[in-house]
Amino acid sequence: MATTTEDLLRELAPQVLGVLMRRYGGLDTCEDAVQEALLDAATQWPASGVPDNPRGWLLTVATRRLTDMLRSESARRRREDAVYLATPPAVLARAGAAGAVGSAGSAGEGTPDHDDTLVLLFLCCHPALSPSSQVALTLRAVGGLTTAEIARAFGVPEATMAQRISRAKQQIRSAGARFTPPDAADRDRRLRAVQQVLYLIFNEGYTASAGQDLQRTDLTAEGIRLGRMLRRLLPGDAETAALLALMLLTDARRDTRSGPDGALVPLAEQDRSRWDQQLIAEGTALVEQTLATTRALGPYQLQAAIAAVHDEAASVEDTDWEEVLALYELLAKVAPGPMVSLGKAVAIAMVHGPAAGLAATDDLADALGRHHRLHAVRGHLHEMAADPAAAAEDYRAAARYATNIPERRYLERKLARLQEPGR
Amino acid sequence: MKYMLIIYGNQELWNSIDPAEWEQEIAAFDTFNKKFYDTGELLGAYGVADAAATKLVRLTGGQPGVTDGPYLETKEYLASWFLLDVDSEERAVAIAAEVPSAKARPVEVWPILHEASRETGVDMGVV
Repeated sequence: MATTTEDLLRELAPQVLGVLMRRYGGLDTCEDAVQEALLDAATQWPASGVPDNPRGWLLTVATRRLTDMLRSESARRRREDAVYLATPPAVLARAGAAGAVGSAGSAGEGTPDHDDTLVLLFLCCHPALSPSSQVALTLRAVGGLTTAEIARAFGVPEATMAQRISRAKQQIRSAGARFTPPDAADRDRRLRAVQQVLYLIFNEGYTASAGQDLQRTDLTAEGIRLGRMLRRLLPGDAETAALLALMLLTDARRDTRSGPDGALVPLAEQDRSRWDQQLIAEGTALVEQTLATTRALGPYQLQAAIAAVHDEAASVEDTDWEEVLALYELLAKVAPGPMVSLGKAVAIAMVHGPAAGLAATDDLADALGRHHRLHAVRGHLHEMAADPAAAAEDYRAAARYATNIPERRYLERKLARLQEPGR
Repeated sequence: MKYMLIIYGNQELWNSIDPAEWEQEIAAFDTFNKKFYDTGELLGAYGVADAAATKLVRLTGGQPGVTDGPYLETKEYLASWFLLDVDSEERAVAIAAEVPSAKARPVEVWPILHEASRETGVDMGVV
């Protein structure tokens, strides 16, 4: 029951904030007001039961909180107060409740709720902010997480996270950003920033630290939840669907990614029978659907398609490496970068042999010479080429550059295995 | 990503700075700290006391023995450190370049690999 209330609150949070933003503007005060209303609901609803119109309830309480905040604010804001206070609260609450007909989260395309949540996402992922500020603000304003939860998920003191969020709000204000959708010309770029932030949230949960009691603030789950939300908001956008697919297809392998001691288990050695078939089916269906309808293949579609090829293969040997290589070649055109080149080098090795793969990594020394992954890949390829001495050198370098313990352990183990006498 | 910035020094070095300059230096550090606390990138800034105030604890046969030390009169030792949480190594390096003493002496930028969970004590790098 508690989880249901929380899910409901977090679903409603961006909608209520959107309404407040549209009426009064000012992300900082509106967002604080919504957080207080969420807190009221979280403490009252378990005892009193969920109200018949939870969205209307939250909107009324948040509006009241906002009134209090605006009243107590300094003369600096007096002019905005005057406009706001001229509207009787009863009218505001009624206007809010009117938009609340229907159940939570059922807002379809074209409704104000729908647009509000999207505009809110655009605002939180404003280009004036650094990636970590975009992430923090999105988790709070759209995800409905508290500052303490976000701080814990990222392993920083709450005061630090509070500072990051309040600075982000300040920067949005001084950038003169308004609660309106971006221009058509700007929209694609801004949407890419939103997608990037959701993917960062997902990846933070997937690759980095996670304490034991992170059930509530599980960033992987939150990334997927927000990914589903964005897909509902933009059902026709292929890259948004593909982003969700990529997250699902990656998360499907989650339980097999590390061994009992926390060491990383690479794709080739994972127990594929333990991959989550439901997530794979959902992700694959999304990929097929977008590939069938899309006009231009974007980076998320290509990455999701690569993930789908891996997830559908019964083993490394069964993997359709020619297709993986073809997809990497497209990806290298659409979104070139050293990491993409490195993935492509692996596919080249699987199709044309390790020597060709190694040759493909030669140009990457400048960009990735101090990154563990280049050395790890070269270690694998040298092993494939039956050159254990070179592989050991690569693994040694890779372990030194690793900044993540599971990966480092895995690499040290590879090195130890190569150095065992009489191997 | 977390990084530690480390600066080294010794008493002789600090004694060689004239008082007015020293005050300016302290003020510059205050400004630096405030700036990056405000961005939410600085998690903590610390400096050690004089080496003369340092104790050494050694267990001998399970019993702690405490002596003065480590008497690092001439060698440089760890003087101050700053714990950062930033988006990238580039950002950590950019902040290191703003450490006031960087004008005169190098700043080390170390990526953090291990961090113990506040709840369980377990290394959060190992899930």
